[in-house]
Amino acid sequence: MATIDKATIKRLAKLCRIACSEEQEDALLHDMQKIIGYVEQLSEINTDAIVPCNYVASTLSQTPFRADVPGQTLSRDEFLKNAPAHIGGMIRVPPVLRQE
Amino acid sequence: MKTAHHHHNWEPVIGLEIHAELNTRSKLFSSAPNHFGDEPNRNITEVCTGMPGALPVLNKEAVRKAVQFGLAVGARVATFSQFDRKSYFYPDSPRNFQITQYAHPIILGGSVMVVVGDEEKAFPINRAHLEDDAGMLKHFSDFATVDYNRAGVPLLEIVSEPCMHTAKEAALYAMAVKAILDYIDASDCNMQEGSLRIDVNVSVRKKGEAGFRNKIEIKNMNSFSNLEKAVAHEITRQISAYEQYPDKDPQDVIQQSTYRWDPDKGQTVLMRRKEYADDYRYFPEPDLLPLILTPEYIEEIRKTLPELPYEREKRYISKLQLGPQQAFTLVSDKQIAAYFEEALQDCTYAKTLANWIIVEFPGRLKELGKTLPETPIQPSHIASLVNMIETGIISGKIAKSVADDMVARMTAPNNLPLDPGAIVEANPEYLPITNRETILPIVEAVVAANAQSVADFIAGRDRALAFLVGQVMKQTKGSASPQVVNELLMECIKKK
Amino acid sequence: MTDIHTLTALQVHNAFKQGKLSASEIVAASLARITQHDPKIKAFLRVFTERAGKNARMLDEKRASGAPLGKLAGIPIALKDNINLKGEITTCGSKILEHFQAPFNATASRLLEQEDAIIIGKTNCDEFAMGSSTEHSAFQKTSNPWNLSCTPGGSSGGSAAAVAARLCPLTLGSDTGGSIRQPASLCGIVGFKPTYGRVSRYGLVAFGSSLDQIGPLAATVEDIAMVMEVLGRHCEHDSTSLPKGPDDLLSKLNAPIKGMKIGVPWEFLENLQPELLRSFQASLDMYKDLGATLVPVDLSCLKYAIAVYYIIATAEASTNLSRFDGIRYGLRSKRATTLDEIYDYSRQEGFGDEVKRRIMLGTFVLSAGYQEAYYRKAQKVRAHIIQKYNEAFSHCAVIATPTSPFPAFQIGSITDPLEMYLADIYTIGNNLAGIPGISIPSGFTQDMKPIGLQLSAPELSEGLLLQAAHALQQVTSYHTAIPKEFL
Repeated sequence: MATIDKATIKRLAKLCRIACSEEQEDALLHDMQKIIGYVEQLSEINTDAIVPCNYVASTLSQTPFRADVPGQTLSRDEFLKNAPAHIGGMIRVPPVLRQE
Repeated sequence: MKTAHHHHNWEPVIGLEIHAELNTRSKLFSSAPNHFGDEPNRNITEVCTGMPGALPVLNKEAVRKAVQFGLAVGARVATFSQFDRKSYFYPDSPRNFQITQYAHPIILGGSVMVVVGDEEKAFPINRAHLEDDAGMLKHFSDFATVDYNRAGVPLLEIVSEPCMHTAKEAALYAMAVKAILDYIDASDCNMQEGSLRIDVNVSVRKKGEAGFRNKIEIKNMNSFSNLEKAVAHEITRQISAYEQYPDKDPQDVIQQSTYRWDPDKGQTVLMRRKEYADDYRYFPEPDLLPLILTPEYIEEIRKTLPELPYEREKRYISKLQLGPQQAFTLVSDKQIAAYFEEALQDCTYAKTLANWIIVEFPGRLKELGKTLPETPIQPSHIASLVNMIETGIISGKIAKSVADDMVARMTAPNNLPLDPGAIVEANPEYLPITNRETILPIVEAVVAANAQSVADFIAGRDRALAFLVGQVMKQTKGSASPQVVNELLMECIKKK
Repeated sequence: MTDIHTLTALQVHNAFKQGKLSASEIVAASLARITQHDPKIKAFLRVFTERAGKNARMLDEKRASGAPLGKLAGIPIALKDNINLKGEITTCGSKILEHFQAPFNATASRLLEQEDAIIIGKTNCDEFAMGSSTEHSAFQKTSNPWNLSCTPGGSSGGSAAAVAARLCPLTLGSDTGGSIRQPASLCGIVGFKPTYGRVSRYGLVAFGSSLDQIGPLAATVEDIAMVMEVLGRHCEHDSTSLPKGPDDLLSKLNAPIKGMKIGVPWEFLENLQPELLRSFQASLDMYKDLGATLVPVDLSCLKYAIAVYYIIATAEASTNLSRFDGIRYGLRSKRATTLDEIYDYSRQEGFGDEVKRRIMLGTFVLSAGYQEAYYRKAQKVRAHIIQKYNEAFSHCAVIATPTSPFPAFQIGSITDPLEMYLADIYTIGNNLAGIPGISIPSGFTQDMKPIGLQLSAPELSEGLLLQAAHALQQVTSYHTAIPKEFL
């Protein structure tokens, strides 16, 4: 079974961007270990010859296409109505470390 | 910085990742308009802003353009491809996952033909796939802003094999890919506007060394010349670093990182180190089904391919006798090639015409930052100029002055005509001196002063005549009619 | 005039069409019941008093003008609060969306209003549909109208409770692992999960993309059929929507089920509580009396269903919920000063414990080094389960099981997450296989807690499934029972 320890929880919290207090980490560690322990039972079943199921409905085989026609847009006002902070018609955030 | 001569122990290995925004009318999974330059957050829907409950639906035209590109580079178009979620948090990402194609891309393999020097080379492509673009982040002093107009725009990501070995090759490959995208009208290909973005991966290794050393990714080059400079600079930097620390573990000398090209400083600037590989947690996008294309559909798309750059290049070489380098440069820019073909309607001297269109005029327009088709100078003007040269009306040297005048008139306020004929008319001293009485004394003087050359020519060395002609032209500061000079020289020598 | 709240949706609709009741009267009655009774059960998060009143008046005018009326005209319907209604708040039971106004309509909402249904409010649910008791709502705990100290089940607990207490005759919920059927069972009403892709997911806030479906809850199978005729159709905004037009369901409900083969996976039901087992057997006996025959089927593979589900659903959810980051909408932490803090704190403050658990679990099973062993493995076992269902359906037309391994449980009595997950043991298989399932009230425990029977059928056999369910309702009266307090 995969080792789940505090370091795992910290790494996962970073990946999924959820800050955790010490208590929260402990609780999550406890629960994760239990749940991962539970799902280990899947190793009982031999699936070597089985193709993974990515798409469930058998009547659907291919993704539908959309015609290249611009449709009804979300108005900027509607969009910004829910925005926590905006300026000049754009979403506003604290300074960002340049990535590109 | 050491000079380049020590490079011959080292082999640069270069690969390019090109992101081309496809010029569809709507976005890849969202029906918002795909249009550059509009006011922020006007071209959005719930899908490309990551609203709760929104779902992606694939744009058929984006698929068509991707297939066209694959066919244009002789790649395999996958009949089965799939979309995947790529997770990473960033404000320009509406969902904090991108929908891309990781495991099963739509295009596999293919190659791009490039002329390097006079050699034709095929640079192989690894794959190309569809994915959605991120929004635009703007950085201010103490805050940043996000505009989602660009979020969701279809991108075709084209990944080359790490098969280039010089900065020049890298730039030429990029130009060739751009030309293809341009010819099939898949993208605006505008590096300044960001519809064509190029990331280069550069590493070096000792000649003959197996495997690859750590590579550096360079971003933010907004022109082919900057790309070439950046790559050349980076190659030198890496080689110098390895040579400075010959005993250190190469992995520590050059660590995998991302650099940005700074055109003002003329160097690459570190953006970030890759401390740990990003865990993007790719998995199949459950909101989309597989992309299934039939062989019939692919064939239908193949039929719609226009003449491609490489085909046009071959045509120029075989039908117009252009050199491979000339032909390649011409076809690499769709607008220039069209300009050339229009000029050809009035002029049959293809090679000379090509030279004026890709060398002489671009040199004069560089400072203005314009390409020839962007100026009021018409193809017929160039044709006219070339015709005048080739029929001897003006000399090649004078033609350069005429060209200078054409460019000057372009920016002058008095709206004088740009037609070379008009310019020559306004400058009679451009016409070669044809007056035999004026030229004869000079011819006689040159013949008298160069007895050995005269003797050589009589003995059968034609080159000696060219030398004598040159001497006369020198004396007349190039303004004598070469034809008359030749005639007078022959007459003079015959007398001897 | 009969108390309006005792009428089924079909009866209300007919009364409205015939002019016996006005839309304004119907809506007023529903709103009055909510005002009077909802404080006890807290099924509603928001009630649209003005909006519903206005739409009712307009509908009355429409009827008076002689214009043709929609198939759901006059029916007050509530929506689970993870279904978008344009201009109204969608919270998904979460603090992170507490003030979020939906900028677009779910297809389901649009279709309902197109057919002149009147949407009267949004119902409580487990946060982001993650839970089996509605206790994980960030806002309030909903009570089971049959026993106010018990949960109504979840995650569509508010929708189930609203119907059970007859606050309105019809609600919509969503079902990812049983979230419509299980609360329906615990609340003594009918809950229906369509074939995957039958009802558009556009405008449903995604939890498990390959598992989610919107579906109706009501007192009768007839009402379910009536709504499914409206909802079950292709939607161009949802790429996983089946390319099929609407079905006639209501008119075909009374088809006799004589000779129908009902599969029972006895082996899988070995650990069922004796009281529930007896009730289950009694239901099967009734089907035998109706002419059906019982056939044993092997679905022992379903013992892996919960493990498979909690890997796939959380993997999908971990990415579906990445968009909730305090940047474009939703809660942005007041403590945050940097961008990183906006992400980390907003999500820390905005998500409840169960959601965080599932996001973290989903992140884990997709992460480098683990994806093959967990996510891919689960996808393979899922394929295996689908295969087993196909084999089972080659022997029978429908499969019968209890809906829930236990009846309504005390609020606060199940605190172990894993124990709560096991509540879905009989329902999860349908989501993994994409097949439809329905829960119908089939009895009561000694202490008057409802018991539900679940029927499942192959993909796109909505009609058959509803016929089988309807047949039981013809010979039982559990579906007419209303808790004493809410009579």
